[in-house]
Amino acid sequence: MKIVTYSIQTVMKSFWREKWINLLTILSISIGLSLVTTFIMITFNMDSVIQRWAKNFGLVVYLNDNITNEEEKTLERRFSQDVEIAEVKYISKELALKELHATLGENALILKGLQENPLPSSFELRLKSSLLKPELVKHKAEQIETMAGVEEIQYGEKWLSSLYTISKSMKLGAIVIGGAIFIAITFITYSTIKIYFYRRKDEIETLKLLGATRGFIRLPFLLEGLFMGILGGVISSLAIYGIYSFTSLKVVEFLPSIKLFMASLPVQVYILVPLAGAAVSVIGSFIAVGKIRY
Amino acid sequence: MIEFSKVTKYYEDDVILKDLTFTIDKGELAFITGPSGAGKSTLLKMIYCDERPDSGQIIVAGWDLGMLKQKTIPFLRRNVGIVFQDFRLLLNKTVFDNVALALRVHYLNAQSIRDDVNAVLKEVKLSHKAGTYPAHLSGGEQQRVVIARAMVAKPTVLLADEPTGNLDIDNSKKIMALFREINARGTTVLIATHSRGLYHGTGRRVFFIKDHQIEKDVIG
Repeated sequence: MKIVTYSIQTVMKSFWREKWINLLTILSISIGLSLVTTFIMITFNMDSVIQRWAKNFGLVVYLNDNITNEEEKTLERRFSQDVEIAEVKYISKELALKELHATLGENALILKGLQENPLPSSFELRLKSSLLKPELVKHKAEQIETMAGVEEIQYGEKWLSSLYTISKSMKLGAIVIGGAIFIAITFITYSTIKIYFYRRKDEIETLKLLGATRGFIRLPFLLEGLFMGILGGVISSLAIYGIYSFTSLKVVEFLPSIKLFMASLPVQVYILVPLAGAAVSVIGSFIAVGKIRY
Repeated sequence: MIEFSKVTKYYEDDVILKDLTFTIDKGELAFITGPSGAGKSTLLKMIYCDERPDSGQIIVAGWDLGMLKQKTIPFLRRNVGIVFQDFRLLLNKTVFDNVALALRVHYLNAQSIRDDVNAVLKEVKLSHKAGTYPAHLSGGEQQRVVIARAMVAKPTVLLADEPTGNLDIDNSKKIMALFREINARGTTVLIATHSRGLYHGTGRRVFFIKDHQIEKDVIG
């Protein structure tokens, strides 16, 4: 505990003595973290829009013309009991024709010459969102296609695949950019702490000769990195929240539909940002101090 | 308390000390002397592991230094007070803080540190300079601060490297009186000096280093 007290006192003095370089470091960290948070926010919003679109995604299972009532009932029961299917809707031949009439509107005249109803009966299945991955949907479709009475399955395979690719690319982008920025923050803290370490080289040499342990020598530098990371993170969280609140209020005034695309990040993210800043800065400080030899 | 057994030290290809063997008993005050470059400082540095011998064995206060791991060295050094030739005072810290540093590494609480530092500053007659920075002290005062820092943690061994090198006769006498006081309390004191006046007539053992070896071990 005494080592922590001494280290905190040392850090406080150093913080004040080196206020300008500290301020620049903290601002650099906060800019870096803000960029990461902004990217996460964009990805988060894109993802939630994609998820919303995906909710309406469904499979249309067309049935054979000669399907029996018994087979239809069996299919309906199997679909309803399937835990991966969220919603089942049966469209009879008659209902399908009615819907086509409604869709065609004034052009429905072209259907007048039909001798019999050419449309098949079908099931519209809405899958659970956890299943909305191209390969899983494909697998499900193949499964259903083998069932008795099923003629054909249709679903927006390409559309789903594109959505999934966009979402995956965004996440990958966030990881790559986030990783690069975290490395940059580590380097910023590393440089600052390295400067402090060299400035205090005489003091460190004297401390070593007086019997200071490695922990005693290292701790003030690690704490300094920790404080810089936390402060940078807090500034970043506050800035992002402030900018988000301000812009969403102003933009919504003349573009109300933007609300759909502007969801705030969960509160945990605002807490995680200072913690991530702290962790990365401590790593930078640890590398900067290096191995202490006697 | 300090045992050297066939200790040899090289700097690159140059031999500095060769087959050095001697013992300093617990509670003794002894001197090491010899011309400049004889290896006096190197000898002291080997006692607190700032230098390692190339061969031979050194035992200090029961620690076999050859067996000492890096992480154990701080604990040895807490038992060895050092009066450095170049003082090694931190110019951005006051006299009080410079002395307190030797106790802070022991993780003592603030009150104990305050009491011990004030007591030792009183002993070296520098209480009135506690808040002063080293740059504003005379050479003799700086040397007394260094001695205060070396003795404040009550080490079992105290090493002094040319402690009066930059001081006049009057200040040298004061410094030597301090070493005698510290020794009288049971601390083993080893002083490296090239100044004959420091050990002459003291009645203490003096080790003369010449040609990398202890030439003679006499009473000064």
